[in-house]
Amino acid sequence: MRRATLLLAASLALFGMTEVGAAAWIHAKGYVAQRLIASAWSHASAGRAPRRPWPWADLRPVARLTVPARHIELYVLDDASRRSLAFGPGLVAGTAPPASGGNTVIVAHRDTHFAFLKRLAPGDEIDLQPAGGRIVRYRVEDASIVDRSQTDVMENEGTPRLTLITCYPFDAIRPGTALRYVVVAARVA
Amino acid sequence: MERGKAGEFIVLGVRAVLGGIVVALALGFAAIVLASNAQAAGTVAPADARAGELLLTTGTPGEYTVAPTVETEVAITVSGVAARTRVTQSFHNPGAEFVEGVYVFPLPDKAAVDHLEMQIGNRVIVGEIQEKDAARKSYEQAKSAGRKAALVEQQRPNLFTNSVAQIGPDEMVRITIEYQQTLGYENGVYRLRFPLAITPRYVPMKAPVEALPEERKALEASDAPLVQPAFESAGPTDLVNPVDIAVSIDAGVPLGAVSSSYHDVRIDRPDTGHALVSLAKDQEEADHDFELTWSLAPAAAPQAALFTEPVAGRDYALLMVVPPTPDAAQKAAFQAVPREMVLVIDTSGSMQGASIAQAKAAVDEALDRLDERDRFNIVEFNSILRPMWPQALPATSANVRSARDWVAKLKAEGGTEMAPALTFALDGSDTPGYLRQVVFMTDGGVENEDQLFRLIAQRLGSSRLFTVGIGSAPNTHFMTKAARFGRGTFTYVGDVREVHEKMAALFAKIESPVLQDVQVRWADGSPVETFPERVPDLYLGEPVMLSAAAASFAGTVIVSGTLGTRPWSVALTPSSSPTASGVGALWARAKIAALMDAMRQGGDAEKLRTQVVAVALEHHLVSAYTSLVAVDETPTGPATRTLKTALVHAALPRGSGGGAIPQTDTSATLQLLLGLLALAAAAIVALIGRSAMQPRAA
Repeated sequence: MRRATLLLAASLALFGMTEVGAAAWIHAKGYVAQRLIASAWSHASAGRAPRRPWPWADLRPVARLTVPARHIELYVLDDASRRSLAFGPGLVAGTAPPASGGNTVIVAHRDTHFAFLKRLAPGDEIDLQPAGGRIVRYRVEDASIVDRSQTDVMENEGTPRLTLITCYPFDAIRPGTALRYVVVAARVA
Repeated sequence: MERGKAGEFIVLGVRAVLGGIVVALALGFAAIVLASNAQAAGTVAPADARAGELLLTTGTPGEYTVAPTVETEVAITVSGVAARTRVTQSFHNPGAEFVEGVYVFPLPDKAAVDHLEMQIGNRVIVGEIQEKDAARKSYEQAKSAGRKAALVEQQRPNLFTNSVAQIGPDEMVRITIEYQQTLGYENGVYRLRFPLAITPRYVPMKAPVEALPEERKALEASDAPLVQPAFESAGPTDLVNPVDIAVSIDAGVPLGAVSSSYHDVRIDRPDTGHALVSLAKDQEEADHDFELTWSLAPAAAPQAALFTEPVAGRDYALLMVVPPTPDAAQKAAFQAVPREMVLVIDTSGSMQGASIAQAKAAVDEALDRLDERDRFNIVEFNSILRPMWPQALPATSANVRSARDWVAKLKAEGGTEMAPALTFALDGSDTPGYLRQVVFMTDGGVENEDQLFRLIAQRLGSSRLFTVGIGSAPNTHFMTKAARFGRGTFTYVGDVREVHEKMAALFAKIESPVLQDVQVRWADGSPVETFPERVPDLYLGEPVMLSAAAASFAGTVIVSGTLGTRPWSVALTPSSSPTASGVGALWARAKIAALMDAMRQGGDAEKLRTQVVAVALEHHLVSAYTSLVAVDETPTGPATRTLKTALVHAALPRGSGGGAIPQTDTSATLQLLLGLLALAAAAIVALIGRSAMQPRAA
């Protein structure tokens, strides 16, 4: 009887710790990867040969995204697949390259890198610096919630702008929501 | 005793963390409460866009204009070895303002586009050919004067844009484009493809230094940034770009089986030499290519054909010769040579979904074909290059097994940096005693095509490059050309069920002797301008296809070559049957392709450009430097310089996994909560266990 109770308690504890560990791992991976990419980025922008953020990395930072007023600094990757998003925000394939004339669409996780989107308000300034390029400034115009099928927010036409997208609601417990939070910022300089 | 101690230890440990857990638990419940509030708030801001409609942002936030929609009708008439296609695009503007519609659409890579018509109500305006800048100017002038105009421009040899100015509110403008093409013919089967989807092209962030000896201004025209449409997935009921296709086949001789590779069709056979093919559904989504194949009745299969057409004082000819099948002795001698095979797989993001599965199946098929004397290696590339081994290893069963495991784990992610992969596979090395064959599997979603062609031409050495097109919308122009520069062939696999059959056909080709040194001798020795100038090496089942121009074609033509090790030749006379129309346009299209190739290989750009323009204008063809433009004389719209422009949506290629905004949530919160709950439960169980023990201890 006592053994059974202990066994139950131990296995529950073990399960609990793995789950908490897994959750912590998601956050840790997102944080550490960004720091490693940051160091690779400054390495490259110092004029030295580009190197991989970590030896087996198969992704590449394409832009540095900063929100000076909110002390946000993120490195945007060239891929928006589920696997890459664990390491950082991703540029959606087929949308305009960072700081170009079209609509640059960047997506990231709602609970890690893009958790700050909910605090962005119209008028906030976002800076985007493409790899090897000059900083371009965008100003937040609008935020809205759309269904994931409304891909028109990723259309590459009209005015030069930056579209940041993450899942909505921000504090949902279960993953897999159909809603997206979309922040649109117009290019100002 | 021991057990009791261990139990005590655990209980102690649990008690130690208990305090923390209670706090965490409280936090967890708070999170649940907060989250459910947020979920309720999610329904607040529904956007009012409907699927299948295209919205344009205007200057004012929150204000939209609806962009025009396009419906396409395709009518293809096949006669003998050529086909003429009439594509009608109906632009409809559902909005309340005059707009300009821009539609990006693919055509077969050898299409000679020579006719444009714009139909407004009952009026038909026929387009004329002009140099690209002049045509653009005519179009812009008409647009700003409020007159309707249509402009067809070539973006890539297989990708065109159609711009239509001043489409009025709720108005329909019909644009008709016509082109001529030759049919694919291989192993006794004719193949007609109508491309319906565009694979979103990947634009490399920076061109690798090695691939760029020097950027040539001349190539700007062909490597210019692409206008890319926004991609959209069809909703359950609405089609993004509905298409209707009808094909009429007049083979001239009795037909064998006719079949559609990827679409359900109705096939009527009015008599033995004719077939009428139409889609089973009224309309299909333009998200995967249409392909029709047919064979001729066994006795009617041609070994050689020569068609001629006089145009403006010159004679043009189209020649097709099917070489005989090599016999067993020739095959055995060829197969005795061991091979070194390098399999290159594109694992970029655009390969996600069905495409990567097809590529894996194709590699499996290739591995089956290797024997112990052969050597092989596998390379995957996306944003980076990852070879399985630094160099090819013998195809022992252990090596093949580990290769299969390696391939099974491949995933499609990242960009398409093709140059490093080509550089690796075509290392210019030649392994003595081995036939070096590179099989390159990709959807060709790249933009820097010309750089890659140069790379292949420079590094090929004695290797042969075979391209395999994967997915529902591979870039066949790129892959056909790449195979030509690589002196190999291009194979298209459109469906995972076809992998076995198509790859088996490719390997049968690779393992068979080649027809080499093909020569064509024209009767009277008068100068003949042929394209291609030199007939390339031919693999099993491939015909000799040649376009020629001369003052006149009379008398016999002799085609000869070396088949395996033996000489081979055939003699032809022009058929006295009524001349085939469009042969001249095909010749001109082949000449333009040859001139553009010469430019790619470093020819005098300005001179070649002038030649392209001259041929294109003479034959009324759209090219990199000429466009078709149709302008209405009567103004019908507002005279304005700021007409709104809408890029008409393209449907995403089928199976590419797109069509939704990426999923951007993690299971972190859920796991954290589950974990904390489990820890709390563990604590409770431990507590209960302990208190149940206490009385006994006392």
